[in-house]
Amino acid sequence: MTLDALATVLVSGLVMGSVYALMASGLSLVWSTLGIFNFAHGALMTLGAYLAWTLAGSGVLGLPPWIAMLVAVALVAAVGVLLERLLIRPFYGHRAMLLVTVMTTLAATVFLSKGIQLVWGPRLKELPALAPGNVSILGTSISAQEALIVGVAPIVLGALWAFLRFSSTGRGIRAVGQNPQAAQLIGIDVPRLFAIAFALAAALAALTGILIGSVRLVTPSLGDEPLIKALIIVIFGGLGSMAGTIWAAYLIGLAEALLVFTIGIYWAPSTLFLLLILVLVLRPQGLMGKVVR
Amino acid sequence: MIARLLSSRGPIVAILLLAVALALPFLSDSTYLRHLMILVFIYGIVAASWDVTLGYTGIFNFAHTAFFGLGVYATGLLAKLGGLDPWASMLLGSVLVAGIAALVAWPVVRLQGIYVVLVTFAFSQLALQFVISQSDLTGGTQGLVRIPTIQLPGYNFLRDYKLGYYYVGLALLGLSVLGLQILVRSDFGLSLRALRDNEDYARARGIPVARQRLKALVASAFVAGLAGGFYAVYLRVASPEVFSFATTSLILSMVLVGGVGTLWGPVLAAVVLTLGSEALANVRGLDEGRHMLVAVAMILALRFLPGGLISALLPRRGAPDRAARPTVQGPTTP
Amino acid sequence: MTDALEVDGLSGGYDDYDVVSNIGLTVGASERVGLFGPNGHGKTTILNAISATLARRRGTVRFFGQPVDRARPQAIVAAGLIHVPQANTVFPDMEIQETLELAAWTPRARAARAENLDRVLALFPRLAERRRQLARTLSGGERQMLSIGVGLMCAPRMLMLDEPTLGLSPKLKDELAQAIATISAGGIPILVVEQDVAFVLSLVDRMYFVNHGAITREIGRRDAVDHDEIMAMYFGAGATA
Repeated sequence: MTLDALATVLVSGLVMGSVYALMASGLSLVWSTLGIFNFAHGALMTLGAYLAWTLAGSGVLGLPPWIAMLVAVALVAAVGVLLERLLIRPFYGHRAMLLVTVMTTLAATVFLSKGIQLVWGPRLKELPALAPGNVSILGTSISAQEALIVGVAPIVLGALWAFLRFSSTGRGIRAVGQNPQAAQLIGIDVPRLFAIAFALAAALAALTGILIGSVRLVTPSLGDEPLIKALIIVIFGGLGSMAGTIWAAYLIGLAEALLVFTIGIYWAPSTLFLLLILVLVLRPQGLMGKVVR
Repeated sequence: MIARLLSSRGPIVAILLLAVALALPFLSDSTYLRHLMILVFIYGIVAASWDVTLGYTGIFNFAHTAFFGLGVYATGLLAKLGGLDPWASMLLGSVLVAGIAALVAWPVVRLQGIYVVLVTFAFSQLALQFVISQSDLTGGTQGLVRIPTIQLPGYNFLRDYKLGYYYVGLALLGLSVLGLQILVRSDFGLSLRALRDNEDYARARGIPVARQRLKALVASAFVAGLAGGFYAVYLRVASPEVFSFATTSLILSMVLVGGVGTLWGPVLAAVVLTLGSEALANVRGLDEGRHMLVAVAMILALRFLPGGLISALLPRRGAPDRAARPTVQGPTTP
Repeated sequence: MTDALEVDGLSGGYDDYDVVSNIGLTVGASERVGLFGPNGHGKTTILNAISATLARRRGTVRFFGQPVDRARPQAIVAAGLIHVPQANTVFPDMEIQETLELAAWTPRARAARAENLDRVLALFPRLAERRRQLARTLSGGERQMLSIGVGLMCAPRMLMLDEPTLGLSPKLKDELAQAIATISAGGIPILVVEQDVAFVLSLVDRMYFVNHGAITREIGRRDAVDHDEIMAMYFGAGATA
């Protein structure tokens, strides 16, 4: 492999890894707080991208792209609050809560993605770039939009980390994830913090969806393929640890770029999956993770 | 006692239903009704076989629709490109699906909780990507078309307003449900339920956990693959849509609405939901909307009908797994 | 003067049956009261019913005169009635100091956070030494200290302690008993659940005997209760109640 090719692989792996890290952090946040896996995460990404399109210049309302993005993220967070209330809260304490919420969030995925097709139709939409033009990294030219993703991801993830570590709401979210009974006994309104964590994850999903939509086109299935990657990532990284998940995201991003370069785009996902099966046979708790809950 | 009452009434209900299904083509020669009923048979088989892993074995298996979809494609490819007899393709296709299921089951049976969901889900989505990406063989997003039909010497199954397909489908459903019924009532089925209800205890009694689960997955995948094979030779197309979230949630809603761990419940729900969903598909503008309605039905069933339709139809029967419990917990004296 | 806690006709339990029924008890404004009795007879359930962490409950509970029997758990904490549960693991992946700061969650507690933190760290110097350690790394005794410390950070107007010395060595028990006495001397009324009769006698002014989900006897400190009588309560008389 030439040095040029290596740089290309690295840069494209970094772009993908950043997207995956943003997405997986939302899944991990919901898992470690509410103890459920949110299958609607991909559909929320798609919803975010369409809302941003409708709000932004190319859509109906003509807001500046940055404003449109923020409003779309806030709207999807509100949808997150609604989903938590309707699909998850009724099942707290259910003896098969994990399985039941897999099913309800799956139903939400179908509902949202079919609803999106109904509202926006099957035609592809183009989101305006937040950062136009091209930049050169390691001698590889990429669009400024992709560079923006690589730059934004660590900032957002860092902000998320600081929020969970230092703010009192963030600490409360960690507390209800670790021991909801004890959290209740110090006066924390546990369901409210569950809703906040879910809304935050939905906001992260919307942001990820908008970033993907701005480098590719917005389609009704925008969130589907990243969701599969995110599944693989959280299996590799272990769901319980956000740090492990984020490392796994970048690792899988790079591995995927390498596989696409060496064996082509069609075989890369299947190879990745076979690798995953092998890893799981050897280490059922995930590559880095531990089985929590 | 209630269980005994049910099992004595069960065959009567089954025979009645079978009689109605057998007589239906003579009551109406509507091709459309027969078409819908054939879909009911197919979805009924898929839903009932899913119940074996999801309900009776307690494996959080979300690859079941993918096994069905792979059955569609395997049969389609064997018959169309392999030039094999469509009957043989169906059988060989399901054997292939069972083999793939064994491969997936290898790690899955050793995993716990959410990781089972994640791996089976990832598998089903990768199966979809694989089918789409190998477009030279599978037709990609366009799907595989003009799959040969099944034939008997001197009889074309397209004749008599789908009458032949109707009875083949009904026979497949009857045989599948009967086979699954025998399976879940056998010692093997009993050990599966023991595993589901109390894994540590079952393990202590010497039940080989991983092997039993693997067998259950392979058996249910074989039946789903068979349904897929019949789907391929009946509709003569294989489309990637069979792997979609929408198909998964349609069949899952049958299992849930019908009642997990009841086998007959999902078949009954297949009748209701297939007819309902197809009827809505004819309403203008509801083609996407009907999937949304199925999603809502599924959530409502989880929320308000935890035992499924069958528990509403047969009142006083407890949660299905509670009925199965005493057989497992019997000999726990210290 | 109003009692800190007045409980009357309190029943509660799980699903469709009551574990405890018709409980009546009071705790004076600066009193120390014990609940004792055999294991599995509903002592913990009484505390859960008071702190509203039990879904199924009926009866009246007044806290400094205010009815709290219909309040949600966080409202009861906000009012200052703090329940320190049995064998509390608190938040395993959080640091000690972080946990204590977090515990000052309600507005009233947050206002007194700095001074309460000083108080807790002075009361339990071992926690001060380990303030950067994760809670999961603590020993059993340290975990009990943290658990009580968390209760104190909630700015309690009354504490309910559930078996604060469960499984601890005699030396540690003494240490904790002293800490509890210090807290109480600061004017905080205490309701403590214990099985160890000697321990609870040394700690409280008055106690209630809990048997088969009911309070069957009240014993004042000045009532001479000898060992035989208590044994009779546990093994004999209790069964007929």
